[in-house]
Amino acid sequence: MTIAALLGNPNVGKTTLFNALTGSKQYVGNWPGVTVEKKEGFIDKSIKIVDLPGIYALDTFSNEEKISKNFLLNENVDVIINIVDASNLSRNLYLTMQLKQFKKPIILILNMIDVAEFKGIKIDFDKLSKELNVMIIPISASKGIGIDKVKMLLMSSNFLKHLDDNDYHFSSEKDTYEYIESILKKCITYSKKNIITPTEKIDKIVLNKFLAYPIFLTCLYFIFKFTFSYVGQPLSDLLDSSLNDYLVPLAENLLSNSSPWFKSLIIDGVIGGVGSVIVFLPIILSLFLGISFLEDSGYMARAAFIMDKLMRKMGLSGKAFIPMIVGFGCSVPGIMSARTLESEKDRKLTALLVPLMSCNARLPVYALFASIFFPKKQTLVVFSLYILGIALSFLVGLIFKNTIFKKDEEPFVIELPEYKMPEMKSLFIHTWDKGKGFLKKAGTLIFSISVIVWFLSNFNFSGMSDINSSFLSNIGRFINPIFIPLGFGKWQNSVSLLTGLMAKEVVVGTMGVIYGGDLSQMLKTAFTPLSAYSFLVFVLLYTPCISVIATMKKEYGLKMAAFSVFYQLILAWMVSFVIYNAGKLIF
Amino acid sequence: MCICDLTVGKKGYICDIQGNELLAKRLLSLGATYGTEVCIKNYAPLGDPIIISFRGFDLAIRKKDAKYIYVKEA
Ligand SMILES: Nc1nc2c(ncn2[C@@H]2O[C@H](COP(=O)(O)OP(=O)(O)OP(=O)(O)O)[C@@H](O)[C@H]2O)c(=O)[nH]1
Ligand SMILES: [Mg+2]
Repeated sequence: MTIAALLGNPNVGKTTLFNALTGSKQYVGNWPGVTVEKKEGFIDKSIKIVDLPGIYALDTFSNEEKISKNFLLNENVDVIINIVDASNLSRNLYLTMQLKQFKKPIILILNMIDVAEFKGIKIDFDKLSKELNVMIIPISASKGIGIDKVKMLLMSSNFLKHLDDNDYHFSSEKDTYEYIESILKKCITYSKKNIITPTEKIDKIVLNKFLAYPIFLTCLYFIFKFTFSYVGQPLSDLLDSSLNDYLVPLAENLLSNSSPWFKSLIIDGVIGGVGSVIVFLPIILSLFLGISFLEDSGYMARAAFIMDKLMRKMGLSGKAFIPMIVGFGCSVPGIMSARTLESEKDRKLTALLVPLMSCNARLPVYALFASIFFPKKQTLVVFSLYILGIALSFLVGLIFKNTIFKKDEEPFVIELPEYKMPEMKSLFIHTWDKGKGFLKKAGTLIFSISVIVWFLSNFNFSGMSDINSSFLSNIGRFINPIFIPLGFGKWQNSVSLLTGLMAKEVVVGTMGVIYGGDLSQMLKTAFTPLSAYSFLVFVLLYTPCISVIATMKKEYGLKMAAFSVFYQLILAWMVSFVIYNAGKLIF
Repeated sequence: MCICDLTVGKKGYICDIQGNELLAKRLLSLGATYGTEVCIKNYAPLGDPIIISFRGFDLAIRKKDAKYIYVKEA
């Protein structure tokens, strides 16, 4: 088998090419440091392609860069696919010169040919190939141009013959760059000079002293509007009413002859549990689409840039803000992407804060409660929860910095990529992929928990029982006292929170099963608007789900994982307590 | 003079980089070698960090680190 390693600077399109070659759907985004783990894929079973984190040079600076370097050093790489940004060759070729020292066949892929053309950069490929003594294939990975050629070359094994025996050791960086420039001078002509690029124009506004922060908040707010007013919520309501108007009567009809317990299992357990979660699919997809758009536009690195000064107060750098935004989607990739930070302490602190960013899985809970208790102010209420999460992460960060994470500041450098219009096709493919993941979760995890909850709520040691004397109510009553001071202490709610440890959507699923019938009617009797808000705050802040705990353990060990579980439980309790009791005094 | 003394848009040439060793090494590998043309593109809204540009790309860096990038005015 041939092993091909994809190597290149960050953000040059390695993953885009990887996806195109192998049919995978790994995450692509327009900022440096999207990929933080090695990922494998295949062409034809005989060629293994390995996607790696981007590296600027082999004198590794951050953790994820070490992964790439170690892979190259320790694995039997047959060919290096060195992908470079054709619109910025001189810096990209610096790594190429270092890669040449490994004496392995190299295929040089000039990506982003479309961008180079737009900038008026004309490259003589044949000449460049001769001068650099490598095979060159110009492509545009995101536009799908030239992918076939790469595939064909890899399958033909022609690259194995092509080895450069020259010595590429230079005495200094300056020498290397002079060598590169001398080659480029012969091969490149520039037809446009000193033009102001669209990126410069956009940055003048987006980074403007007075506009920068308002623009940032407006972007977020618009994404919420999109989710709750324009697209997500209306579709979700439609799905909900068709479920109640068609599916439930249909199931009742079909099951009219079966035994009562089976009917109850299907209607109360499965439809009540899984169904009440699935109706939120449109909301989750809308928010995901919005965040992906932001991530693929090039704005992320700017957000890191304008947030640096604030993040420094916590002893972090602006770069740590990126994992936090990623955390709005799901805390797991957020915690993973903390790998791009420079020091172990930075990474740990960021990983502890990421779960305070409200993830997609909490959205069904917010959406359900907000539509019942705050019908006219949905967007605002949900937005306030997100802001609360951000604000608390700053506060907690400050506290941790001054207690357990005392440390020096690391230098902060981040490349600011050019803005790009996100590729709609890949945006939709990706969103749909997330949707499939959600449906799978609904069909497996949420399904099984719903069945378990149904069982526990219908049985006790003496057999089938009334819900109020079931196993479940006993469990609920046992932990209930903790929640009474927070205003929502009913055993049903306590149990829902408990099952929510598996995945936060399950909170809604469990309520669907135990409250039975029309949730919006039932919940109105169980909560006041204030206790509903207190409940939402608790859901926002309490211990993240089991996959987050597992990721935390994998990345930073058991102690960190345990710590993150407990500090969040305590934080959630305290903040809900304050909000509920302060609210009671005011209203 | 250091790069922070350049006004926005004004060009300079890099003479020397000191300060944090790892960072200096990183800047060199990125192409901030002796004689490279460099300019300041933007300040963050709160005045720090700044965006510098050389060899055709933009890099955000804090003032306290940029202080050690010495330049000659063009
Ligand atoms: N215009 C244009 N954009 C491209 C091309 N190839 C990739 N992109 C975009 O470049 C950005 C970076 O792509 P990725 O594939 O995530 O880059 P990467 O090299 O894997 O980045 P890291 O994982 O961060 O090292 C994305 O926004 C892509 O859509 C191309 O040929 N033309
Ligand atoms: Mg990548």
